[in-house]
Amino acid sequence: MTGTVYGADATGVKRACVIGAGSMGGGIAAQFANAGIPVDLLDMPDDAGGAGPAEAGLARQIKVGGFMSPKAAKLVRPGTTDDLVRAAEADWIVEAIIEDLAAKRDFYARLDAVRKPGSTVSSNTSTLKRADLVAGLSEGFDRDFVISHFFNPPRHMQLLEIVSGPASDAASVARAHEAGRVLLGKTKVDCRDTPGFIANRIGCYWMAMAVLEAQAQGLTVEEADAVIASFGVPATGVFGLLDLIGIDLIPLVWGSLIRSLPATDGFQSYDLAGSALAQDMVAKGRLGRKAKGGFYRKTSEGAREALDLVTRNYRPEVRPAPMRDLKALIEGGGKLGDYAWTVLARLVSYTAQVSGEIAHDLPSIDTAVALGYGWREGPFAQADRIGAAYIADRLRAEGQAMPDLIAKAADHGRFIDRAATRATRPMIAQNDAARLEDAGDGIGIFRITTKMGVFAPEVFEVLDHAIALAEGKLKALVLAPGSERAFSAGADLARFLELAEEPTKLEAFLARGQTAFSALRQAPMPVVASVRGLALGGGCEITLHADHVVAHAEVRFGLPEPKLGILPGWGGCTRMFERLSNPQTGAVGPAAVAARAVELLLPGPTATSAAEARGLHLLRDTDDIVMHTGDVEAVALSRAREMIDGYTPSPEAFLAVAGPSGVAGALSTSRAHHAAGRIDAVTMTVATELASVLTGGERGDPARPMPEAEMRELERAAFLRMAARDTTRQTMLATIRR
Amino acid sequence: MQTAYIASYTRTPFTFARKGALATVRPDHLGATAIRGLLAKTGVPGNEIEDVVWGCAFPEGEQGLNIGRITGLLAGLPETTAGATVNRWCGSSVQAVQMAAGMLVMGAGEAFIAGGAESMTRVPMMGFNIAPPPEWPADHVADFINVGLTAERVARDYGVDRETQEAFALASQQKAVAAQAAGRLADEITPVETAAGLVDADGCPRETSLEKLSTLKPAFLEGGSVTAGTSSPMTDAATALLICSEDFLKRHNLTPLARIAGFGVSGCAPGIMGMGPVESSRKAMKRAGITMNDIDVIEMNEAFASQAEACRRELEIDPAKLNIDGGAIALGHPLGGTGGRLVGKTASLLQREGGRYGLATQCIGGGMGIAMVLEAA
Repeated sequence: MTGTVYGADATGVKRACVIGAGSMGGGIAAQFANAGIPVDLLDMPDDAGGAGPAEAGLARQIKVGGFMSPKAAKLVRPGTTDDLVRAAEADWIVEAIIEDLAAKRDFYARLDAVRKPGSTVSSNTSTLKRADLVAGLSEGFDRDFVISHFFNPPRHMQLLEIVSGPASDAASVARAHEAGRVLLGKTKVDCRDTPGFIANRIGCYWMAMAVLEAQAQGLTVEEADAVIASFGVPATGVFGLLDLIGIDLIPLVWGSLIRSLPATDGFQSYDLAGSALAQDMVAKGRLGRKAKGGFYRKTSEGAREALDLVTRNYRPEVRPAPMRDLKALIEGGGKLGDYAWTVLARLVSYTAQVSGEIAHDLPSIDTAVALGYGWREGPFAQADRIGAAYIADRLRAEGQAMPDLIAKAADHGRFIDRAATRATRPMIAQNDAARLEDAGDGIGIFRITTKMGVFAPEVFEVLDHAIALAEGKLKALVLAPGSERAFSAGADLARFLELAEEPTKLEAFLARGQTAFSALRQAPMPVVASVRGLALGGGCEITLHADHVVAHAEVRFGLPEPKLGILPGWGGCTRMFERLSNPQTGAVGPAAVAARAVELLLPGPTATSAAEARGLHLLRDTDDIVMHTGDVEAVALSRAREMIDGYTPSPEAFLAVAGPSGVAGALSTSRAHHAAGRIDAVTMTVATELASVLTGGERGDPARPMPEAEMRELERAAFLRMAARDTTRQTMLATIRR
Repeated sequence: MQTAYIASYTRTPFTFARKGALATVRPDHLGATAIRGLLAKTGVPGNEIEDVVWGCAFPEGEQGLNIGRITGLLAGLPETTAGATVNRWCGSSVQAVQMAAGMLVMGAGEAFIAGGAESMTRVPMMGFNIAPPPEWPADHVADFINVGLTAERVARDYGVDRETQEAFALASQQKAVAAQAAGRLADEITPVETAAGLVDADGCPRETSLEKLSTLKPAFLEGGSVTAGTSSPMTDAATALLICSEDFLKRHNLTPLARIAGFGVSGCAPGIMGMGPVESSRKAMKRAGITMNDIDVIEMNEAFASQAEACRRELEIDPAKLNIDGGAIALGHPLGGTGGRLVGKTASLLQREGGRYGLATQCIGGGMGIAMVLEAA
């Protein structure tokens, strides 16, 4: 359970091999390693016959953050394609070499001779057709081969386009689907075998069309990007996005895509690569951000400038006000409204025209484009928001071509029926800050619904209610996020500063959290935390009180309190002490545990992945890590269900504290760092308070195991002392301002 | 009264803690390897050994359970040979030699293995559970457990500036690298088998320069002068010596390296523990009836360049006689194993260089010094 992510065994992929150590190949290899799967990363040998290129690819992934932990990087074994026999150990072999049909086919023939029978082989090609890639290769190869098109960077982009063929083996395709989701965290979209597959076919068309229409309709780049942003796409719009991608790629990507499409394809109306605008930009070296100037640039003084599309000179940037209501913009007309309509109408018309050619169904197109390009929703969902009938009527009124699909959608009322997709759960309790849902089978789901899941006092009303139901209605409780971005960001700093003005109120708030979290821990039902997004401060502390945690691999977990001059005061110090008292975490003996705990907590540990959180003991080895963000809650529910039978609540813990004899030891490292000027005086006061709590205070004694409630009292007292300091207040104010 | 002789000396390679080649080896196995090497070198049967007197600065964890007894058993000594652990922090194995010699002189045995071991990888300096008396104020505790600060205090109080420390450290490295290259260290080393292969050479000495040393940041005190380059590195190693009587030498046809001629321990303020060698050396020389003028070779531990140089000045030591194959800044300082190297090296150098008297001395955390005078045999 500790080595690999949740569900890894069932995928049948125990070892992977990636050929080609460029940014895509290296990134895909890193993602296998992030799932705990050993992976060979092979590339051409260097002049000396060594694995220099693969090693460089590995080093680049370490540098750019492709790995979730240093431990993961150790699972990648670099090598050369001279040693292709290593691919024989792999259950999934991903090819990510140069986009050259002959080179790929030559490589496949060599690979086919050594690979394990039944192993899945996939190509990360973004332009070549599957049928051309497998032509002339063995039947077995054809059966096991799919296109697996990842997006850059592979760690963070969720889309995985899969193209299978008529002879494909269902098991091999299913493995790519399943392993792609469970190991790599990707959402697969099955595509037909056509140029650019789905996301890039639509996305590249959209960019070319939006750029050339903006120019034709006389918009500035800022105006066009502001209109585009109102579609719910990233604020870079299209011109900003081209700057980011690199304008030198226009001939390569757009040029080759348009050449591979038939003369009748709608894409031909917008030949971006052949446009005078793009050719001029490339000729002048205005290649975007990497060239320090494209459609936008920053002057050496830091002033922002934009390119005038008519004069082709730079001038100061003029940002139009953000346009929030796309529908009103379109219906309002005018230069910007007409442009918005053109972009929508062309996008929806083109997508409707090619939909049957590129995809098996319409939702696949929306998923691919939204995930591939970071849109809030895909083209059909956008069209449904504006109204299929409105679009059809206006196209008709303007005498424009009407794809059948639009006419049908107008009759039906919409392109995609969404009504049935999201069933809402019955509500057990709810207020402005939190809610308790009934997930069936006696399992409740508790969610904090405040912005970023911050702990308002009302949160505890619903939590207390859930705990009280443990004796009756509820058999298990899942703690889950109330929003996409955050499980819980902890306490609201501004609110906290108000409370700090009145120590009795602050103490009551501290006691409220401690009491609730302890009750949660000792409740006669299993409690499973399902964590996605941020879990910081109190949001992390509540998970420390759960019986089990199911965490998304890309979670941000942490106890940053010491950075603000305070300490984890909702039982966080106590639970971390208990965790570090386990000999398996390395520290033995009460003074050693306190020393280790101070060392760990003082920097305000914050992990940017679940693997890192495990290294910091914020997650246990027994907790689950789930790669796909959409699976976290389902896994948590299933874990909760498994734990109901025979569950015994955690008893109150007794802690082996060192007492005053351990203070000097607990502080020795911090004091040495302070003497050497590596930590400041304010941090030293935090260290002193942490050491006092974690050694059990004045009454601590190694001969008397301390009931955990006593350490929580120490936490509270220390917290109040720390909150009363001017330096703490100033640090918090500065943090809020940031 | 009998005379105590140093009949033979060997040690494992000295390698960096954590990143070095011996990091994976338990300290009792390091010690057992050294003892087996010593017996092989001398041909003395194990059942002739009265006791294993074994130095260790932090005898807990893998160094606990009386490591002296365990090391003897692991080395294959018979159960009838006893074993003790001696703790005088950094001075532990000089103390072990002295305790063996003291027993011998009073007739409580005629052959002893003395030495010591420390894996600073596997048992952290200051141990796993630091718990000094809680009534001690923080600065008093710091004098004990942050020895880097005591090196800074000595540098300041005795006027040893950063440039002087770096020149001292560079000389130590250059002497050690030269000795290693000329093969002058090899005959004192017993190689150690590890899972990754045989380790047969010291791992710490390195080529450096004043320029490189000058770029290092102060390691212990903001704005201070002591750096990692002018401090001895954390080290894993063991050393072992055969201490025996004249009769024993004759019976086993052994040629001794030296006789033990004097010994002294002394105390000083914990905050300037690095000055410990001054008083202890004076005591040991006085008891041997000699002065510094009579000494031909000196092995003084270089815990830090600042204290070693300050002691050198106080004791008026000729640099040409001091640590001639390099000191702890270059070779490493495995706490409980260090003293054995100093005594064994002094005895070996008396043979090699042909002098009459030698001095082995070191400073000890907590404010002590230890010194032993040897006379060529």
